[in-house]
Amino acid sequence: MSSGDIYFNDVELGDEIGPLTRTVSSDQVTGFVAVRDPDPPPSRFTSDKAARSEGLPSAIVPGAMNIAMMSQIVTGWSPTVSIKKIDVVFRQMVPHNEPLTLSGIVTDKDETGVSTSLECDIVMENREGVKLVIGHAEFTLPSRPQ
Amino acid sequence: MTSDEGIVYDRSLLGVEHPIGSFKVSRDMITGFARSTGETKSIYLGDTDNLDDLVAPPTICNIFVNGVSRPDIKLKFGDMNFFAGQSIECKKDVRPGDTLNASTHLDNVYAKTGRSGKMIFAVWQTTFKNQNGDTVALVNESFVRRNRAK
Amino acid sequence: MFLDLHTHSVASDDSRATVEQYIRWSSVLQNKGYRIDGFVLTEHRQFDHGLDYTDLSSESGLLILKGAELDTDCGHFLVYGVTKPLTDSIDFSDVNIDATKLVELCDDLGAIAIPAHPGRAGIGFAEYVSTRRAGFKTIGVVEGLNGSNRPGEGEKAALLIQQRGYLSTGGSDAHIVSAIGTCMTLFKDKITTEAELVLALRAGNYNPVMLESSKD
Repeated sequence: MSSGDIYFNDVELGDEIGPLTRTVSSDQVTGFVAVRDPDPPPSRFTSDKAARSEGLPSAIVPGAMNIAMMSQIVTGWSPTVSIKKIDVVFRQMVPHNEPLTLSGIVTDKDETGVSTSLECDIVMENREGVKLVIGHAEFTLPSRPQ
Repeated sequence: MTSDEGIVYDRSLLGVEHPIGSFKVSRDMITGFARSTGETKSIYLGDTDNLDDLVAPPTICNIFVNGVSRPDIKLKFGDMNFFAGQSIECKKDVRPGDTLNASTHLDNVYAKTGRSGKMIFAVWQTTFKNQNGDTVALVNESFVRRNRAK
Repeated sequence: MFLDLHTHSVASDDSRATVEQYIRWSSVLQNKGYRIDGFVLTEHRQFDHGLDYTDLSSESGLLILKGAELDTDCGHFLVYGVTKPLTDSIDFSDVNIDATKLVELCDDLGAIAIPAHPGRAGIGFAEYVSTRRAGFKTIGVVEGLNGSNRPGEGEKAALLIQQRGYLSTGGSDAHIVSAIGTCMTLFKDKITTEAELVLALRAGNYNPVMLESSKD
């Protein structure tokens, strides 16, 4: 493991995770949708016109892509992270090509010695600081080697 | 939760398990999913010399599940559907060559109000098992139906 | 005392925080020099008379009370001092409760109903207050500070408060652990029960505050 690795013993409640900054381009969304369906029809995710026909102002980032990015807040924190559960609420639609800030904060830690489990809040905000996606993750970190 | 009295939908679906399908997990699928979501962790990208050193990102099951694979609950409300939330519990790593079998059931339907007015939520629970019968993921998904803004 | 009057635990469908986690986080805040003396669990569209937080309260040193956030035909309302006669009279799970009836019943049964996030689009009292409806004369308090407001919603609430001379409370509207305490209500009087909270809210010796204001 590298010197940047984080261990269970290093973490305290209130420790901040990230932030990551992302801007999801329309091409990226098209690439994501194509993993499932190489030739998808226009949809609210890939076409502004299709999105507007559904009453949306513009094309949006798929929820599945948003939760993937939210999980990266935790898994990207350290190679030692093993994510056990991620749980998110999509509070507002995420538009293409808008700067996003994804961050987390450690909110719980197993102090009993039974496990090396931790929990954190995770949030995706737009440039106005509005929380577009909120959530929670459970993960483990190894104990620092002796 | 709110009582679902007055919400008109096919209540016979509640709790009934429906198979969604069987999905072969390929290396390209894993790396394609990882790259397209901006993943940087090498174990998800397969950026190592060891071909066995590739694991699917924790939310990979989302490739396999979409709206058309669930039964239509025939909800009589609203004209717009959105993904409202999701939880994924990762029980076991998913690797190239795995075959995932998924089944789902409708867990709950309820109403609430928000900035966009009245909304009805439908919550589905989906289980993914691999070729060995091991549960690899437990997924809860919430979909919201509302009326288009006037 | 500093009380967060608007929080949601996992009992609310869209919250991801347990009560125990709120308690632990309150301790984190206190260790950082902030002050939080308690919180009220205002779960969406429900009230569990059987839940008793007395033990958790005494172990943690925090006042943990119960209330509810209800969906009405005039926006969301926070209800404090919920009793069995009240839940017998109103279906808390209804998403279109008659707000006039709710306010009147609360007045009669020793509770209090306060418009939540009054500046919020669609579910904020500010959109409905000008309708000529009986029963709203007794509304004297609204939630002026809400930690989940979007740009413009706080300002709309502030304008309503200024125009109508309402008293104002503060609450985080927390749905995740780390959000608790972001907005609170600073009471001049000590409160130990839900009944005392109702009396204090009617008495008016409090003001809404942001977490930062609680720092020593």
